Amino acid sequence: MCDKDRLVSYLYDDLADGERATFERHLRECDDCRDELNALRGVRADLVSWSPPQPDFGFRVVREPKVVPMPVRSWRGWWTPAAGLAAAAVLVLAAASAIAHVEIHSGPDGVTVRTGWSGSRPETARSGGETASRAVRGDVILPASDGRVDASIIETLDRRLRALEAASREPGLVRNASAAGLSARGGDADIIRRMRELLAQSETRQQGELALRIAQVIRDVDAQRVEDLKRIQQGLRGVEASVNAEAAGHRELTNYILTSARQK
Amino acid sequence: MASTDEELVARSQGGDLDSFNQLVVRWERPIYALAYRTIGREEDARDVCQETFLRAFRALKGFKGQAKFSSWLYRITLNLCRDWIRRERRQPIAQAPEGVDLIDLASEQSPSESIEDLVARKEISQAVARAMGLLPEDQRTAIILKEYHGLTFQEIADMLDCPLSTVKTRLYQGLSVLRRQLDREGVGRNHV
Repeated sequence: MCDKDRLVSYLYDDLADGERATFERHLRECDDCRDELNALRGVRADLVSWSPPQPDFGFRVVREPKVVPMPVRSWRGWWTPAAGLAAAAVLVLAAASAIAHVEIHSGPDGVTVRTGWSGSRPETARSGGETASRAVRGDVILPASDGRVDASIIETLDRRLRALEAASREPGLVRNASAAGLSARGGDADIIRRMRELLAQSETRQQGELALRIAQVIRDVDAQRVEDLKRIQQGLRGVEASVNAEAAGHRELTNYILTSARQK
Repeated sequence: MASTDEELVARSQGGDLDSFNQLVVRWERPIYALAYRTIGREEDARDVCQETFLRAFRALKGFKGQAKFSSWLYRITLNLCRDWIRRERRQPIAQAPEGVDLIDLASEQSPSESIEDLVARKEISQAVARAMGLLPEDQRTAIILKEYHGLTFQEIADMLDCPLSTVKTRLYQGLSVLRRQLDREGVGRNHV
């Protein structure tokens, strides 16, 4: 029985020199092995003719772009993203302002936002130490534009006005007043009227500023809402594309199955 | 000077996609050829080829270089082909190349080859494809790796996880079956 492993090794030129010489001696003596070797060489030559087709490959690995998955939201969530939140924020702000008794004043050193009840305000607020006392109360000072009435002056005048009104209501003071005092009181009334006008103007201006700020907030919220909608549309387009691709794949698979079934 | 497989693999493991794509360009034809000759279907072979590179890319970090990169790719391809054959539950269908026939064959041969020779070669090619399709999977794989990819007996044994002598036996048996089948069809060289 001839060694077929050796025959295969010789066929593929995989024998060491010594082994090759030995096997070649065997070939000279063994007709079967010689014939088989020639036949297998012929098969190998035929195998060369079998070449695969040459498709266009074009296959490359690319990095997948990072797609931020859009959260799946129920229909209830679609209408609320920005406008609803803004409305809620305004309501909360209004309620908090009412509870905290927010006061907004504008002055040359900025817009002053103050919380707390004015009845507990310390007396030092009227003095030159206003800024320090604000810091103690936790006031917020915002930069203001030029030409605005100083808030501290308005407050001082307001208190002076209340004091004058209270004094004018005291009977003892009226009884002891001289003629000069009476004429002076007439001048005070004029000042009070002018002060009231100034206060009214100041309040109107503050309300205007507040309205401007609210309008700005609404504009921002609206822009955010538009941006949200754009992102939602982009997400939907991405989902649609992937669904279409998947459907095409399924269609192709179905066609293949049908074709195979028909062939069978 | 072109980079070696090892250099490209190292760069790919560092996240360089271009290097990996150079490996794809370098090995896509051999991998496709292996898949095509194993399963015998153009489209499926193409899918196997792409899947091979995708799997290789995903598993690249775990490739330690014990074997050659090409051997690693061949092993992935053969596993995918084996999956395909099991999934299809049938012998591979060896097809002759479609639509390329004589023109394609002619492009590979010297200009002096006659039309008669081209036709004969096409017949042999189809007969070989059919005969290969009749072989058991292990014999077919051994012949493909040895004849068309030039692997050594040892490399084939390592890839197929079998002893060296088993590889030689499979080769001998496979070639013997092919010889009989081609004789039966009366094509090719005289194998008697």
